Amino acid sequence: MTHRSDILLEARGVQHAYREDGRTYPVLHGVDLTLRRGEFTLIMGPSGCGKTTLLHILGLMMHPTAGRIELDGVELTGLPDAERTRCRRERIGFVFQRFNLLPILSARANVELALRLRRVPLDGQVGRVLEQVGLADKAHLKPRALSIGEQQRVAIARAVVGRPAILLADEPTGNLDSANADRVLALLRDIHAATGLTTLMITHNERLADVADRVLHMRDGRLTE
Amino acid sequence: MASLAVANLVHRKLRSALSILAVGLGVAMLIVMLGLSHGTLDEVADRIQSVDAELVVLPQHENIIFTGGAAFSEKYRPLIEQVELDGRRCVASVVPVLFDTVRMGGQQQRLFAIDAADLPIFLGPRRLASGTFFEAPLRLAAHLDTLRNAQGYYDPTRVDPAALDAACELLLDSRLALVGGYRVGHTETILGRTFRVVGIVESGVAGRVFCPIQVLQYIKCAGMPWASMFFVKLAPPPTGHEAGYADRCAAAIADRTKARVELKTAYGALLAESFSQIYMYINSASAVSILVCFLFILLTMYTTVLERTREIGILRSLGAGSGYLVREFMAEALIICGSGTAVGIAMAYTAKYTIETVRPLLTVRISPTFLFLAAVIGLVGGIGSALYPGLRAARIDPVAALNFE
Repeated sequence: MTHRSDILLEARGVQHAYREDGRTYPVLHGVDLTLRRGEFTLIMGPSGCGKTTLLHILGLMMHPTAGRIELDGVELTGLPDAERTRCRRERIGFVFQRFNLLPILSARANVELALRLRRVPLDGQVGRVLEQVGLADKAHLKPRALSIGEQQRVAIARAVVGRPAILLADEPTGNLDSANADRVLALLRDIHAATGLTTLMITHNERLADVADRVLHMRDGRLTE
Repeated sequence: MASLAVANLVHRKLRSALSILAVGLGVAMLIVMLGLSHGTLDEVADRIQSVDAELVVLPQHENIIFTGGAAFSEKYRPLIEQVELDGRRCVASVVPVLFDTVRMGGQQQRLFAIDAADLPIFLGPRRLASGTFFEAPLRLAAHLDTLRNAQGYYDPTRVDPAALDAACELLLDSRLALVGGYRVGHTETILGRTFRVVGIVESGVAGRVFCPIQVLQYIKCAGMPWASMFFVKLAPPPTGHEAGYADRCAAAIADRTKARVELKTAYGALLAESFSQIYMYINSASAVSILVCFLFILLTMYTTVLERTREIGILRSLGAGSGYLVREFMAEALIICGSGTAVGIAMAYTAKYTIETVRPLLTVRISPTFLFLAAVIGLVGGIGSALYPGLRAARIDPVAALNFE
């Protein structure tokens, strides 16, 4: 039985529909999800089933059409945009399939950015995280000078450097070859093991099922255990 | 890590350089246009200030820049000389000037026809760069005095042609001499007569071209001692009555002569007033150049938002709020505008040097006011042109922006 205080994130009845040309396209049909602290959860499902939409809603980048989301017992869906942005900045770390690094900044500056946005002192954290992801010697390079695997590791460093409450990873290996994918997965596992960071990863790759503590399946906008 | 704004500017070097250059051009254009228009008029006003007199007597209701011809007959000079204030004469001397226009140094010049004896009043401490002061005109004046009747007229047919020809002398200022390549001994045909350059004086004197008033009066007024305007040197004020003395003298002379009497120090303002229409045009053109400059910055910053939609999406996904994005855009625009203003000021000084070297008769005066104006425009332009793109960036939907190709 799960104690209330063990729950970090809870989504209830989350629905979402896209509107285009006057028509409505439902994507999520009342998703219920509970993430416990320190848990590594994987959501698997085919492309187009609504995984990324769910992740964006949980990461406060989109508003659901209906439903509620609580993080640490605080209801988030009704918060004003500024509060949602603050929560995203301070409590949520994102890793994207396309890395989403700023090309104008070095690897170090990309990682630092997450802390600068929070206005917290750097205190050598950036160097430690870059060391952890194995890129201390390439910290001065800009993303275009890094391999795609290295770019994703920089993105992971940026996501975790601020010690967020939860890490959301959207197909983090989707753009990588198998060697790089394995390395990135190992890195995510290591970080999870070392920090106990609650992690939610989505993928359509069935091969990744064994990296998670818990695997959920999504099909046609519905989650199943 | 340097600010994101700096990183962006460094990353897009060509665009940053072009933006700074565009702002610089706008600022330089503004400073040079204002500096040229005000500088040229101020230089004329300053030259008039060099005359050792306190008042100018002009034809009533006549625009100061068109003052010319024989507006004052011979009766005015004694009228002015006899003006009294508080029971005592207030005029020390009256200096008539007859104007005409000549073409020298590639452009129209106002010819100052003056009495050779009055030359020290016009030259002040300025020295001859070469040649001599008027000499033959003094002899002509003495000759004419022997011919005059009680009213000051003479019969032109009795004038000694040799004395008249000898008196056709010109004094030039050094800037005009430089532009026209004139040297002592150079001859110039003016009003059908051959004038000879006898001296070149340091620049800064009231006129660029001086000739003897007797010669011009002979040519244009059949020898009648008429004048276009007068400079009036006042007698020293009585002790204890110094305040407002020149104004009261001017009022008394105006009352006596019904002419327009102005303080010499007001000449600059009168010139500016005469050129008010031109100033309006110049100010409008300056405003347009600045507007174009602002629109360029606005367009640049707006294009930046479109071009960086994906980057803005990344920042939004990392939790960058509206304030952060607006600040970053503003910082970027302020750096562009600040650097552009500095570049523009440097360009303006370069243009001033170039203009004054190529066209020495023109003066570009860059005053602290113009520099301050340029700095304010740079600052306001930076803030204004970044505000809309910054706010637009802050409203971008992060998910849509991340999917932007």
